[in-house]
Amino acid sequence: MEFLTPILFGGLALVSAPILLHLLHRRNIKPVDWAAMRFLIEMMTRKRRRLLLNELLLLLVRMAIIACIALAMVRPALKHAADGASGAGIVRHGPTAAVLLLDDCLSTQAGRAQSSFENMKRLAVAYLGTLRAGDEVSVVRMSQVGQAVADPGFDLEAIKAGVLAARPSFVASDVPGLLEAGLGQLKHHANPGAELILVTDGMGNGWRFGEISRWEELRRRLRGPASAAAGTKEHPRLLVLCPETPETMRNIAITAVTPDRSILTSGMESSFKVSLKSHGNTVATSVPVQFLVDGRAVGQKAVALPPDGEGEALFTHTFAEPGSYALEARLVDNHDFLGADDQRALAIQVEPGLPVLLVDGNERAGLRSKLGFLRYALDPGGPGGSPFKVTTVSLAQFAPSLLANYRVVVLGDVRALEPATVDALERYVVGGGGLLVGLGPEINPGLINRAWSRGGEGFFPAALGNATSPPKGVRPAGMNSTHPAFAGFGAQAEGAWKSAAVKSYFGLAPEAGQRGDLEVVLKYDNGDPMVLERRRGLGLVALVTTSLNADWNDLPLQPAYVPLVRGLVGRLGSFIMPPRNLLPGEPIIYAQVAEPGHPITGEDQAGKPLPLVAGGWEGRDAFLSEALPTPGIYLLRDPKVPKPIRFVVAASPGESQLQPVTEHDLTQAVEPGTPLYRRGDQVTAALATASRNSVEIWKWLLAGAIGFIFLETWMTRRAAAGAAMGAVVGEPEKA
Amino acid sequence: MSTVPAVQPEVLARLGSLSLTARQAVESILAGQHRSVHHGLSIEFADHREYQPGDDLRHLDWLVLARSDRYQIRRYEEETRLRATIVLDCSGSMGYGKTGSTKLEFGRSLAAALGYLMVRQNDSVGLATFDTEVREFLPPGSTMSHYLHLLDAMSRSQPGEETRLAPVLEELAGRLRRRGLVLLITDAFDDSTALVQALKLLRYRKQDVRLFQILDPRELDFPFSGMTEFVGLEHEPRLKFDADRIRTHYRQEFAEHQARLKAGCHAAGVQLEVCRTDEDLFTVLGRALAAR
Repeated sequence: MEFLTPILFGGLALVSAPILLHLLHRRNIKPVDWAAMRFLIEMMTRKRRRLLLNELLLLLVRMAIIACIALAMVRPALKHAADGASGAGIVRHGPTAAVLLLDDCLSTQAGRAQSSFENMKRLAVAYLGTLRAGDEVSVVRMSQVGQAVADPGFDLEAIKAGVLAARPSFVASDVPGLLEAGLGQLKHHANPGAELILVTDGMGNGWRFGEISRWEELRRRLRGPASAAAGTKEHPRLLVLCPETPETMRNIAITAVTPDRSILTSGMESSFKVSLKSHGNTVATSVPVQFLVDGRAVGQKAVALPPDGEGEALFTHTFAEPGSYALEARLVDNHDFLGADDQRALAIQVEPGLPVLLVDGNERAGLRSKLGFLRYALDPGGPGGSPFKVTTVSLAQFAPSLLANYRVVVLGDVRALEPATVDALERYVVGGGGLLVGLGPEINPGLINRAWSRGGEGFFPAALGNATSPPKGVRPAGMNSTHPAFAGFGAQAEGAWKSAAVKSYFGLAPEAGQRGDLEVVLKYDNGDPMVLERRRGLGLVALVTTSLNADWNDLPLQPAYVPLVRGLVGRLGSFIMPPRNLLPGEPIIYAQVAEPGHPITGEDQAGKPLPLVAGGWEGRDAFLSEALPTPGIYLLRDPKVPKPIRFVVAASPGESQLQPVTEHDLTQAVEPGTPLYRRGDQVTAALATASRNSVEIWKWLLAGAIGFIFLETWMTRRAAAGAAMGAVVGEPEKA
Repeated sequence: MSTVPAVQPEVLARLGSLSLTARQAVESILAGQHRSVHHGLSIEFADHREYQPGDDLRHLDWLVLARSDRYQIRRYEEETRLRATIVLDCSGSMGYGKTGSTKLEFGRSLAAALGYLMVRQNDSVGLATFDTEVREFLPPGSTMSHYLHLLDAMSRSQPGEETRLAPVLEELAGRLRRRGLVLLITDAFDDSTALVQALKLLRYRKQDVRLFQILDPRELDFPFSGMTEFVGLEHEPRLKFDADRIRTHYRQEFAEHQARLKAGCHAAGVQLEVCRTDEDLFTVLGRALAAR
């Protein structure tokens, strides 16, 4: 005997309801004066025993009705045989709870005459054909992971129709995540048999074999306790349905469109790199790539791609005016297995210049000030201008009201700030501003930790230790050129600082290393951090543990100083929040307030109106769209902004690699021997005759409850008719 | 508030102008059927009255007819003075009923009306109130002042102890030595066998007995529902019942009691008149007199 919905065992407590009602009734009896008592007394004297017996029987019958219904809801199932094996070796534990995991990721669109997704659907329908009435099915799609899933259904034909009507999405595959979602969905099922059916195209990208700890946890959950029989809730049976695919499918994809700098300014020529990747062992000697700005072609180039190799095309463009733009790269006349990755777009914001406020801790002017070198590195002056619009103020001139006009603020060896200014800086960062803090001889660590850091609650990224002056000095090392701040170094990152010397710097307090949100982006050659970043609300704070001028180092005299500070300041000012480059399934968020009579409207990539609703985002008023499943360029028109604001939904480039997982990996990923079916007839042959070793008895219990209801009705009517029975509800009580 | 029994003016007015049938019925009861046993035996002449159809021609005064050409009937002392005793139950159970229309109040009104009828035609009427024993006893009298005393005694009666009809009637049988009429007003919620025995004793003592059983409609219908606690008016134990489920049994017990009472009354030669407190008093009187 097993119970399929043991959580409902609490319902058995309702058996006591008739007794409780009886007792409650006794409490609520209202007395009435009565003259003809002798007839009641005579009646009771003559029929008392009979009345009490009948009352007791009636009470028991009512309790039995509730007990039967409560037990039926617990759904007991009788196991009538030991786990036996059918010819195909599949044993189902009574009615089956099947969770169909449909990996409808972007790569399933791949194929020639028919996409992989169509073949996957056929396998799924073949599986559904092996189920029978009473089995319950949930369908969890990759594109729905993280969202609410419909309750399990029993209408197998409707579920088949739903599967056949499904279309592939543009999301990236995450097979472990899909399996985790399936295990979660199993909890909503009541049937004793449990099967997870992974329907996949078998492409390697989504399996994420490198996430070892995640897979180990998943295997532990799937195997359940050692005593659990396969195919039960504790140890669900995993079946993999994967259509046969060509060994490799040729595919050329645009993987990225990347600007050459963090800050794009109007009137200045900017370069954009279009990255391509060839999957498959075919040589592509000339792949034409078209580059478009706001839908207008501005260039086309041919790229040669080696087998399984990468290539890139550089395009330049000068934006005449600031505003929001959408850049798009397309492969022209490309005929490979997957067309969805033949174009890629990027939303950018072109600024007239990045407004930067320098707060200098020293009243002296020029290079002798704390931020003199940094100012010249950002904006040397002269013809051609600079993307940075720099304003320098002394500590005495620095007021909170200035913050609203700048995207980045730099503090150069500032000893102390007024409490109101500290509060204003915290609000500035949390609201999306960028802050760069350089240290120096004026800094008092105790004061900084107490007023600016406040145990991680303030804007300062980490508690400081003492100033350190190694005898031989140190120099920057270990620069990661993939970090956005150091992208300008390119291949020269490794030797950029070989002749630099840092005499003094501040170390961090021991507790600072325990903060998970702190990222060290540049270290000294002795391992101590030189540049750290910490996200704070919507903004970003960067800390340079030495001076930004030549007080403690000779960094300003190094050629790498200019790209270093430009990279840092540019990164701090490059964030457009909320983001405008989205993944499929994310909504557009536009954090602005519409003026009365000037509504903010949206358009999808086909030019149709895009519904927007007023809402909130990070404590600010905002307009939000629904989740956008399809890649493309979406427009928002704000009457206050001259140009439309462009948002881009782009698929994950990982889905372009159409490299199938080996059959060995498919069957061994979870546990050895996981059944793998590649054709519908295999599924039918293996599962259609699977034996079932338990039977539910809820129908019998409900039938019993109905029988008791009839009995109760008969007894009640008989008592009311006075044929033989009556009801003494209580013993006579003396007045 | 006056406690004088409620003989409503309209009832008295309607009684005073009873139809001929009713008037004949009254006189048939009080004069014809309760004829004096002393008739023709040195009975003292009292007065004359107008002849009315149905009068015994033997009592026609021929001398008056000869002298004045008027039909006059001679009346004698014993013939005109029917001795009636109204026996009113004042036990606790008679206090049952809605405020203003308890069984006792209905019984008082009935007794007052009956007494008025008798005094008005020069009959003697007395009163006995009781519960476990006789509480008050007024011998019969025929004057209006006596009638007012009866009313005063009735107004003092209050629902009291348990109902013990049999010993009370036995005691009254001892007190009523002369032939007469006993008008028993009670709910008769007592042992029917003992009650019938007591009625037979009264009959044996040459008392004509009429039993007016006063019942509240709820005692007949048992209209309660759901769990109910019944509190007796004569110190019985409290009882809790599901009223819906004992209604039939109650009615059955009640019907058996009524059947025994009816059969006993019939056997004892006692006329039983069942009265509901929601009935019009005139209707009850009319029905009672007509039935005679």
